[in-house]
Amino acid sequence: MAGKAMLKEQERILQDEIQKFRGLQKEIQKCASSCSQLDTQLNENKNVKEELDLLEVDAVVYKLIGPVLVKQDLTEAKQTVEKRLGYISKEIERYTGTIKDLEKKQTEAAEKLSKLQQDYQQAMMKAGSVAR
Amino acid sequence: MAADPKAVPISQLSLHQLDQFKSQLDEDVAMMTASLQQLKIVQQKLVDSKESIQTVAPKNESKEILIPLTGSMYVPGKLKNTDSVIVDIGTGYYVEKNIKEADSFFQRKLDFVKKNLEQLQQGLMEKHRMRDGLIQMMKLKIQAQSSIANS
Repeated sequence: MAGKAMLKEQERILQDEIQKFRGLQKEIQKCASSCSQLDTQLNENKNVKEELDLLEVDAVVYKLIGPVLVKQDLTEAKQTVEKRLGYISKEIERYTGTIKDLEKKQTEAAEKLSKLQQDYQQAMMKAGSVAR
Repeated sequence: MAADPKAVPISQLSLHQLDQFKSQLDEDVAMMTASLQQLKIVQQKLVDSKESIQTVAPKNESKEILIPLTGSMYVPGKLKNTDSVIVDIGTGYYVEKNIKEADSFFQRKLDFVKKNLEQLQQGLMEKHRMRDGLIQMMKLKIQAQSSIANS
């Protein structure tokens, strides 16, 4: 019957939207965990920068490259850490922006989903009453 | 989703919402307790490092020491340099410091960890308080519901 086919179609669309919604949730979680990792790195690098700033100009600094401690110039080390701090901050900004967009999409998807569910339930009730 | 308890009095929330909120708080408490443990481990490591540099003191010069070459192989040697150590400051950077500077470095790190431990403790206590309040409210609601059912 035409009614049944429409119901099936509605169900399919509903399932589709549910999948999309779940997908969005997973994306947001992934971004959030990247963000928190980056935050940890940011803090560690901030601590290193503070320590380097406390050093005298003639302090001896090494960097661990593989299994080797390689002597570094203090100014160079400071610059490298600064650059890293800048890069990490930018990445965090980027992820925060992405999360905001995704959350907006998620709210829209949730509204759409709830409306579709309502429509579907109404259609089911109508189909049930007609069959009787 | 249940609102911040400061914004909506929890007596207005349904039993189901209270339960959801409680689960969220349980997760938070578990996470904070785990972080607390990690911080305590870091604190112990820092204390150990701080103590061990004291043994690299001038009075131990030329004393015999065992130097680890691998996890299970050591080589005998003599302690020669008693005024500087190389300290790991993070992200792969190491700095040569004299004993006094290294000691103050570890003290700084210890103070930092202690501050974080205290903040975490306070946060954890706050979460416990909220959780206890929630459980009280849930008990009241369950009692109210069962007395309605019985009447």
